Amino acid sequence: MNNKVDYQLELDQIRAICGYDLMALALVEPAEYHYVIKWKYASGNLNERFRGIVLQSGRGVAGMVFKTGKPFMFSSVHDDVPQDALFNYPIIRTEQLTSIGAVPVWNDTRVAGVLLGGFRDEQRVTRQSVQQLLELTRRGIGELNGKEFLLN
Amino acid sequence: MQKLYNNSMEAMFFFNRQGKVLAMNPAAEQIVNEDVLQQLYQGKAQAICGVCRGYMSDTELRTCLACYFTSPESEEFSSFQVYLDTKDKGMVPYAATYHTIDRENGVYVFMLRDLTRQFKTQEKFYQNKMMKHVIEAQENERKRISRELHDSVAQELMSAVIDLRVLKYMTADEELLKKMKQTEASMTRLLDDIRNLAVELRPAALDDFGLEAAFRSHFKKINESYGFTIVFDSGLEQRRYSNELETVIYRIGQEAILNALKYAQVDMIHVSLQDNDNLLQLIVEDDGAGFNPGDAPTGTGLGLYGMQERAELVGGHVNIFSAAGRGTRIVVEIPVQPQPQEQ
Repeated sequence: MNNKVDYQLELDQIRAICGYDLMALALVEPAEYHYVIKWKYASGNLNERFRGIVLQSGRGVAGMVFKTGKPFMFSSVHDDVPQDALFNYPIIRTEQLTSIGAVPVWNDTRVAGVLLGGFRDEQRVTRQSVQQLLELTRRGIGELNGKEFLLN
Repeated sequence: MQKLYNNSMEAMFFFNRQGKVLAMNPAAEQIVNEDVLQQLYQGKAQAICGVCRGYMSDTELRTCLACYFTSPESEEFSSFQVYLDTKDKGMVPYAATYHTIDRENGVYVFMLRDLTRQFKTQEKFYQNKMMKHVIEAQENERKRISRELHDSVAQELMSAVIDLRVLKYMTADEELLKKMKQTEASMTRLLDDIRNLAVELRPAALDDFGLEAAFRSHFKKINESYGFTIVFDSGLEQRRYSNELETVIYRIGQEAILNALKYAQVDMIHVSLQDNDNLLQLIVEDDGAGFNPGDAPTGTGLGLYGMQERAELVGGHVNIFSAAGRGTRIVVEIPVQPQPQEQ
């Protein structure tokens, strides 16, 4: 793939527009890695630990979005996630996020990736900010065309 | 005779035909509360009912039906079980005898022997046995479903994926190829999900390759799924133990690690598995938040209890060392009989 830089640049730009502390993009790995989902790109990350995490469909932030194709948010991680369930969301832990929103990135009517935005301070992800992310992804990111339906 | 009366641990009551108490030995006085004691000494008929909570008949656990005390003499109550409400210890089960010692004057003796200890032991044994059965049944069922998923469902899906790959060479239609690739991707993921599910239910590695292998793959999985590092130190060298013992150690290890994951707020733990002089030892250690043993648990508190319970099933025990802010160290020790080397 020759567009690694493009994704990174796009993520940096989206982060600048939306003002998130962390912007991360999870993508499907190619066939030789069994098509697993991993966090591939990030902007504003504290460390590289999230890269090792293999996401399972239906588990964790990206897994949930990937499976349902619906946006997902914890406006306040502290209030929305019980302390003893936090381990299910490793990226929240490793990146010390306090509020997150995640949306599906479509490609040819399939969920091909997950875009996550998060804060580490008092700022909160709201319905409006999730909507904003949705509109951004609908325009497509990198080589993903953002098309949820064939006819638009 | 007098000494027996005074010093016996068995409570003795002497009654006349009307059910009035004639005498009680010190042991008997001790178990009856003061009100009833007074009534008994005042010679009130059936004052004993103030403490009696029924006896065990042929058909019922605790009943007053056909009471030993009032029923005709013809019915024999030589030895039976009765419950009394005692002064200090609440309701206590007793082995009792009630019989005539002087037919002419109508004197009866009612003797009681405390059964609490025997009952507790019996109950404990029974519970242990039941628990063993329940856990065994659960493991067997998990094994069955896990095997089924792995051998049947996953196999079928695998051959479907292969068929799909073959299809790709039968067309040059770009549109079709793209669609096939998408389908292949989601089916491959589904296959992986099913395999994960099977391993989570019960790892085949535990049955086929033993503890060390099962732990290693479990730790790898944990690391991938949760970004949690487990430093594993094993001195087992692929030795095998009885199926039951391996299951116990594996499940306790799983639980302990899950606890660390949930509560310790750390990113790394140490696990060590050693066999020293026929004592299999598993240590799970973290330097995280810790807790004060005895505090109200954050979760259900059943996890620790379950660990202890499982260890007891194979004659082992679990020691938990922890203090708030000082990390947690869980040590499981299970004795192993030297086993004849199986091939």
